[in-house]
Amino acid sequence: MLEETLVLFRNIRTSRYDGTLDSYRKAGGYQSLPKALAMQPEEVIALVKEAGLRGRGGAGFPTGLKWSFMAKNTGKPSYLVCNADESEPGTCKDRELMLKDPHLFLEGMMIGCYALGCHHGYIYVRGEYFPAIKSLNKAIDDCYREGILGPKLLGGDYALDLTVHTGAGAYICGEESALLDSLEGKRGHPRVKPPFPAVAGFNSCPTSVNNVETLTNVTAILEMGADAYKSLGSPNNAGTHLVSLSGHVNRPGVYEVAMGVGLRDIIQELGGGVRGGKQLKGVIPGGSSSPVLRADEIDIAYDFDSVGKAGSMMGSSAIMVFDEDTDVVKLLHRISRFYNHESCGQCTPCREGTHWARQLLRDFLQNNGSERKLNRLQRVGRNMGGTTLCALGDAASMPIVSFLKKFPDDFRQYYATAS
Amino acid sequence: MEVFYIDDQPVPFEKGEKILSAALRAGLEIPHFCYHPALSVVATCRMCLVDVTDLGNGRPAPKLMTSCSTDAMPNMRVSTQNDKVQEGRELVMEYLLVNHPLDCPICDQSGECTLQDHSYAHGTGHSEMEYNKRVYGWRDIGTFVQLERNRCIHCSRCDRFTREITGTDEFGMFNRGHELTLDTFSDRAMTNHFQGNMADICPVGAITEKEFRFKRRAWKLRKVPSVCTGCSTGCNITIEHDRNEVLRLKPRENQDVNQWWMCDEGRLTYQQMNEREQRLAKPMGRVKGKLLQVTWQQLYDAVADRLEALKPNREQVVALVDTDSTLEEMFLLRRLLQEVFSSDQVFYPQQDWTQPESEFFIETLITTDKAPNQAGARLLGLKGSQEHDVISAMKSAKLLLVLGNPFINEQPLLDLAGTTELMVHIASRQSEWTDRADAIFPGQNHAEKEGSFLNKQEHWQRFWPALRPSRHVRPEWQILSELLHMGTATPVQQTPQFSQIFQQMTSIEHNLFGNLALEKLGESGISLANLRQQSDTLAQTA
Repeated sequence: MLEETLVLFRNIRTSRYDGTLDSYRKAGGYQSLPKALAMQPEEVIALVKEAGLRGRGGAGFPTGLKWSFMAKNTGKPSYLVCNADESEPGTCKDRELMLKDPHLFLEGMMIGCYALGCHHGYIYVRGEYFPAIKSLNKAIDDCYREGILGPKLLGGDYALDLTVHTGAGAYICGEESALLDSLEGKRGHPRVKPPFPAVAGFNSCPTSVNNVETLTNVTAILEMGADAYKSLGSPNNAGTHLVSLSGHVNRPGVYEVAMGVGLRDIIQELGGGVRGGKQLKGVIPGGSSSPVLRADEIDIAYDFDSVGKAGSMMGSSAIMVFDEDTDVVKLLHRISRFYNHESCGQCTPCREGTHWARQLLRDFLQNNGSERKLNRLQRVGRNMGGTTLCALGDAASMPIVSFLKKFPDDFRQYYATAS
Repeated sequence: MEVFYIDDQPVPFEKGEKILSAALRAGLEIPHFCYHPALSVVATCRMCLVDVTDLGNGRPAPKLMTSCSTDAMPNMRVSTQNDKVQEGRELVMEYLLVNHPLDCPICDQSGECTLQDHSYAHGTGHSEMEYNKRVYGWRDIGTFVQLERNRCIHCSRCDRFTREITGTDEFGMFNRGHELTLDTFSDRAMTNHFQGNMADICPVGAITEKEFRFKRRAWKLRKVPSVCTGCSTGCNITIEHDRNEVLRLKPRENQDVNQWWMCDEGRLTYQQMNEREQRLAKPMGRVKGKLLQVTWQQLYDAVADRLEALKPNREQVVALVDTDSTLEEMFLLRRLLQEVFSSDQVFYPQQDWTQPESEFFIETLITTDKAPNQAGARLLGLKGSQEHDVISAMKSAKLLLVLGNPFINEQPLLDLAGTTELMVHIASRQSEWTDRADAIFPGQNHAEKEGSFLNKQEHWQRFWPALRPSRHVRPEWQILSELLHMGTATPVQQTPQFSQIFQQMTSIEHNLFGNLALEKLGESGISLANLRQQSDTLAQTA
């Protein structure tokens, strides 16, 4: 029987834990930060590298490596920006952390700031997360009042300020360079890379953009040490991760599991199987942008590499399950509508392609589909992939291409019945 | 300089330079829309895709790269022609045309439209789009440019122009995704003085000049390089004309003077070039108190007769010259007074002017000196009205020569003109002087004649004739040189050539102009400081 491995959720799963500074301290909080402050910043980065922590925002890029790319001795301040603009459909893990255990996350953020020599960290929160914003702000206020944050971090001689900045509800602002533009007060448009944020990010200063869960993991790494942390996951995929399980399962929710447990086990055992005893039709394994997997393809380990090998991606660990009754054309239309609405409009293929794909899918739903349109949809979808500045083009392309590949008959059914 | 290879052709590049800019400098073409050398790189149109077959380390790039944002590397190999690239371009072209109205027959940009050109060169010629095209509401964004949002391909050049070049930021992109569109901030009219440039940098017909709207198809226009006469900056321009009418002025790139830009005020000076009502069209002489049309020969003879009768001494001759006269005209006028009357009383309206300073280069283009050649007058040693007393010189004048229309706001001078014995007016346009003149020599306007100006930074620039002048008028330099021949009683050759006059000027004033031949003064002109340096080095080596 698959059970949760509690590292990040250990406080949240404790009864009567309310996420305040007091209860966090009682649960052993703010013990990792002094450990970090006793080390050299480079040592903290080395430790994170050693632990093999990979970014939980979607790309799975090694965090320690990212931090070591930060430009040094530029004479400019460096920044740590936390990407809390959790907006990939299906993902809701960061909200749990920010809402229910903000100090665990803030401690990780403080350690990260120290490791990067940054004296002002920003938390860019998705605008719709009102309760999470409130909880974060309260936690930060408490930290200032208790002297944890401010000119003397934990009473030491390191000055650190944290600022919560709320977005205005744009998916594209979850893309790191668009997020930085938005944070600077501009339109959130992805930037040309290079230069990467590690060289010229926020206000053209060296910046690291990290996900909430990634930073929270840093607290755990400092607490348990690199080896113990690494032993939790599968090779090259260290630690635990938060899985946002949604769709047609009996018990949807956010679960913390070790990397590399079986995908089917997560659905069957943690999620309690498909709702209403129906047959499983497919799974979107990593947020709406990841290629879909059919029911017969999910006997894989759930970590970055295994899901990648299966032709999809783990992304932000958002599993969306749909049963045999699901109309995948409607599902894909909904997903396409989302990307059409959220495309920033800069790049030609994405701006025009997302809208075109949506129109084609609407045609299918209105029984105007045809073989010709199916081929066209495939072409429009494929052509958005890899041709744009940021990953939104790919994100819009992957579901279309994979749905057409995995469920072609569902599309044919539409125009077969029509004619 | 290191090299990389585009389609096996070596291309030199500077460190940090992008593939596209190096290619353009080497004269190679890579189709692009959003890239502009003056603006930041956004890499969003995706048209400039190239296939990097070797990154310089033996490995190919994983996918097509946008050449505007990819650094050139030593020994990099780039293909701009292979099937992969063609396919990528076809795709971008198809997507760009999905919502473009294709209203080329009624679009002013047609014929000079990058989208049209690239569509012919790189498009497939057909589209699978079968839905209604996107339609935006109509917006009037001010007096100078016309916004036609449906034609927009969202390259964001105009947006970046107002942000990065003028710094006014009153115009930009609104909404997002396929509803992304252009508008002014909170529906107000545009405020910057350089809106015409937005029409220039717009690769399609989304922003066009209102002045030029529906006047002429772009391919009908003939283009002649020239210099703007709007102020002392002397922006390099192209006079675009058809059927002997100037239709518009466009800036011509010159990094030493105006970079890529010119102001809207300068663009409007085309109207003066087409001016007909105020034009001095025919030679006239005052006969019994009335101005009558005469022939050129009659006019010269009459002036010669009067001079014979007057025999003015050096104090009795005054010439007034406007600062929009060319260097050659000023030179000839000065020579005329010197050689015929031994006088040096050539006055020009001297103006105090200020050079605006701004962190935005374009703001420094408009100076308060609205004449294009004050620096020339000063350099040729003519007398500035602020340093010399024009009025007292005029009081003793018997012969008054007025070139152009200077001092027309100075009533005392105009009044004194009535007291002179003989007043000769050489100009292309009527003014207060015309009513007081005894002999009127009709000249040619800026678009009809040749000449050169010195701008505020003593950058020496020449311009070429664009329009065909009426057969009754002659260029001022010709009139002056004919007067000079008449006065010095040297035989008149057949019609003098401009290049000869120019050569005379540079050889007589070789210490100023370094004996430069006309052909050497190219389209982008030459800075006098550079010229002096060159002649100094020449003298040293000699």
